[in-house]
Amino acid sequence: MKFRANLYIGGAFFATAVIVGVLAPVIATHDPVFDANLMNAELPPGWEYPFGTDAQGRDIYSRVVHGARISLTVGLVAQCINSIIGVSLGLTAGYWGGWWDDLVSGLTNLMLAIPSLIFALAIMAILGPGLVSLLIALGLTSWSYSCRLARAQVLSLKSQGYVQAAKILGYSDLRIMFTQLLPNILGPLIVIATLGAGGSILAEAALSFLGLGIRPPYPSWGSMLSDAREQITTAPWLSIFPGLAIFITVLGLNLLGDGLRDILDPQSRERTS
Amino acid sequence: MLAVLLRRLLNIIPTVGAVILVIFLLFSVIPGSFTSTGAEDGRMLDPQVMERMRKEMGLDDPILERFGRYVGHTLVGDLGKSFRTREPVTKLIGDRLWPSLKLAIAAMCFAILVGVPLGFIAALRPGSIVDSVSMVGAVSGLSLPQFWLGLMLMYLFGLLLGWLPSFGYGDGGPRYLILPALALGFNPMALLARTTRAAVLDVLNADFVRTARSKGMAETRVVTWHVMRNALVLVITTIGLQFGSLMGAAVVVEKLFSWPGLGSLLVDSVFQRDIPAVQGCILVIVLFFLVINTLVDLAYAVIDPRIRYA
Amino acid sequence: MRKLAWMAAALAVLALGQAQAQTPRKGGTIRFSAPYSASLNSLDIHTTPRAQDDIVGKALNRSLYSWDSAAGKVVLELAKSVSVSADGLVYTYKLRDDAYFHNGRKMTADDIIWSYSRILDSSRGFPGVRYIRIIKGAAEVEKGQTKEISGLRKIDDFTLEMTLADRVEPGYYLFNGTTAILPKEEESRLNSHPIGLGPFKFVEHIPGSRVVAERWEKFYKPGKPYADRFVLLMMPEAAARDLAFRSKEIDTSILGPAQYVVYRNDPELSKGILEVAEMFTRSMQFNPAYKPFSDKRVRQAINYAVDTDLIIKRLVKDKAYRATSWLPSASPAFDKSIKPYPYDPEKAKKLLAEAGYPNGFEFEITTSANESWGLPIVEAMIPMLAKVGIKMKPKMVEVTVLTEVAMKGEHQAFIGSSLTGPDSLATLLCFYSKTPRTACNYTGFNDPAFDKLIDEAGQAVDQAKRNDLLRQANNLIFEAAPVWFFNYNKAVMAYQPWIHGLQANPTELTHQYVEDVWVDERSPAK
Repeated sequence: MKFRANLYIGGAFFATAVIVGVLAPVIATHDPVFDANLMNAELPPGWEYPFGTDAQGRDIYSRVVHGARISLTVGLVAQCINSIIGVSLGLTAGYWGGWWDDLVSGLTNLMLAIPSLIFALAIMAILGPGLVSLLIALGLTSWSYSCRLARAQVLSLKSQGYVQAAKILGYSDLRIMFTQLLPNILGPLIVIATLGAGGSILAEAALSFLGLGIRPPYPSWGSMLSDAREQITTAPWLSIFPGLAIFITVLGLNLLGDGLRDILDPQSRERTS
Repeated sequence: MLAVLLRRLLNIIPTVGAVILVIFLLFSVIPGSFTSTGAEDGRMLDPQVMERMRKEMGLDDPILERFGRYVGHTLVGDLGKSFRTREPVTKLIGDRLWPSLKLAIAAMCFAILVGVPLGFIAALRPGSIVDSVSMVGAVSGLSLPQFWLGLMLMYLFGLLLGWLPSFGYGDGGPRYLILPALALGFNPMALLARTTRAAVLDVLNADFVRTARSKGMAETRVVTWHVMRNALVLVITTIGLQFGSLMGAAVVVEKLFSWPGLGSLLVDSVFQRDIPAVQGCILVIVLFFLVINTLVDLAYAVIDPRIRYA
Repeated sequence: MRKLAWMAAALAVLALGQAQAQTPRKGGTIRFSAPYSASLNSLDIHTTPRAQDDIVGKALNRSLYSWDSAAGKVVLELAKSVSVSADGLVYTYKLRDDAYFHNGRKMTADDIIWSYSRILDSSRGFPGVRYIRIIKGAAEVEKGQTKEISGLRKIDDFTLEMTLADRVEPGYYLFNGTTAILPKEEESRLNSHPIGLGPFKFVEHIPGSRVVAERWEKFYKPGKPYADRFVLLMMPEAAARDLAFRSKEIDTSILGPAQYVVYRNDPELSKGILEVAEMFTRSMQFNPAYKPFSDKRVRQAINYAVDTDLIIKRLVKDKAYRATSWLPSASPAFDKSIKPYPYDPEKAKKLLAEAGYPNGFEFEITTSANESWGLPIVEAMIPMLAKVGIKMKPKMVEVTVLTEVAMKGEHQAFIGSSLTGPDSLATLLCFYSKTPRTACNYTGFNDPAFDKLIDEAGQAVDQAKRNDLLRQANNLIFEAAPVWFFNYNKAVMAYQPWIHGLQANPTELTHQYVEDVWVDERSPAK
């Protein structure tokens, strides 16, 4: 068993982000929203404010810490929605086949063809900026990969003995899908979901940049970074810390995904992309 | 070959139809309208003018009528008239198509020229320093927000070093193309490096390579000949997928660098609720994706004649 | 006395000396940056209300009047002189006989009549309608009842008689870019290849990137324009614009608050900053349909509860002037003696208690993301209002949606920016009870005393009397506080050391009459 560096490093990065998010109320030193004092605006990092303060005089450290909750929520919840949609469609399409399979394939092709960022942009414009809209926008727009993957795997497993046996035993379709098939295709799907969660966090940043991100009351890393872009040369602490937080978390998720792939999905290196 | 091409092209049609339906529905429920967007910073339009504009643009017609008109026109290649410019959307898109293509091609060239060799070298010495450094570098590139990367490039090459213009299209010359192409190409480059590495590793471990080696073929010939050809299929798939989606992915980079492509037109049009232009842009971006993917499928058949179509 | 005269003479010589040192250079390229959007809507300036489009419009086109920033008023542009009838309704213009369109044809009175009629076309929505409407008979053309504007009469090729519907100063209306004079014979290509009367002639437009124009040799002001070429570069992204300005790729850049403070503190960059109090008033407008806001004391309480000076100083970085009424300080009806609402949370609490809200209340504010009059301001206000018990919840929308929300009256309050000049009467009409909400009375303001003042001001022929009435009306609004008075925008433009002749235009700083602008040899542009 060789040492799986990316698995451990990625896992450690991601775990740190999760722990910070969970403990946010405890380890934050200031309130991220209401502890605004314009007299302290844009202080560089120091004793009182280890990461400095932003334009409203709020503690950036506390905002980054609380931002972990928002950004991880965005990454994980959006990806969960994607996975649930993708897997249930892919699973049923592969298992049942027929017109349902055609329909799902058509839908998948449609989702693949419209770039997910543009799709999300449109949904954000319709629903208006905000956390719930963001979760919907990102959760509905990139499930096509997991759907394709699930379907392909089910197609190859369907004819295997244990599935046939379950059928003969009179198990219901749903029972077969969820107890026989799903556990066997879960590995690669987890890999996709891990990589996708990082993608969602970055997509949130991109939408913030385009002016349609998440907004108050609580901060997200993407919106903090996007708001700070004008002062990149003059007040770099405004952008360095949320930027670093995004970088570490997404890098963690990417490395974790790569590492998990080696364990959970050893035969299918082809699906790297 | 021609039959395959035709069949593949026919397969695109239902998808395009669905896209037309979806983008129409999406943008018929979007809040806000073009008539109230000229109003930023208090320069409000006169209510009577707004009403006249709505009438001129058919904004208040029943939804079915608008849909019928939209589909009818789209089928004959007429994407309607832009609300903003009052010109045909096809002309608007025509103006932007070449800069967009140029950017996508340049970004893809960068991605291929850097990503493929990087992945290849990494795969030849798996577990080595070269391997780790290049792969962590690639993954890092995937972990940075694109606008941030772009700003850093601007800052470094435009301001600090002063080697390249930091923004804009200029006279269309290649100097203006470099920075946005780098910013846009970084993501596909990283993906390509990873894919190439994985593909090459797989093939290197495959039986026929071992056989060739044991038969005494020189190492370099083994590598270049067998490995390349077999890994190529996978790499080309990735290139196709990435290239096809590059036009849509360019939204952020185009906005940041003031690049006059489809992405920047799309964003402007969304914010100003220029619905015909939005629909036109999305349709063209989708068509681009589908056509590229069809071409990739055909490329398989050329590279690897064993692949046939079901 | 003699001493004074001598000093004045010395000063004049000094000024002359400076002027000589500043002899404008002929040639070179002016490179402006367009900060508002990544593309232009149209080059046919009649069709577009956007400020961005008129940046290039000022180079390509001319209107009957123009804005003289040095004098702070509208002046004749395409006419040499004008005579006004005793009742102030009939204006007779002696037009320029040396103004040529870029296609070589000389402008005549017919062009003005055609341009104004085109703007009134009832089948199309042209934004300039509201300005042309001041002419008698315009309403009938607008409704499609007739083709001819009865208030416009051509006396000869270079004499035009204009009869107004109401007693207003036509210059305030007819200096707008959307009322430019365009040639009829070029109508079909005005968007793709605009032809106008301006100092620069259209060369190329790469949509989404830039517009290039070159010197128009037959421009009517002798010796002008100075520069050979005019280039407008689209640069909506402020961070990118900053980098481009620093690497000397653009000659001007509009600054936001964050960059303003940086440029001001930079020894080099601070030498090239042009500031002007623009005629925009930023405010949070209350909807009286939401019960707490129907009470004047509540609205005043909010004005007392917010430390507006602190927000302007620390958050807006002094890139604004405190608003002390609705009209901006440049307005002749502005009352200089008026004092802003002081920061006084105790007074605010007292007023709230009197109004029946001793424990405060909750409301939702609709806001855009704008850095100068949107979400960041709201975020700074939240803790201040919380101190007097008012819970403010922000709801963020895009600017286009904000406008529609305001027009429909679905909001409880919204924060935004309003154009408040140059015509004070037109500005104050936004609080006139008969002005519908869709037009601009977003606060649903209804005060008979105010209406009476406005009615009288509209009738007044005497300018001083009219200003006095408007002053009273403006002060009345300040007291009734239908809005939280925030600030007047200070527009700031950074410019490179080699560019000269920029004008501090308070109607819109990016609108530069470019024939007066010139670049010296240091400009790196070819």
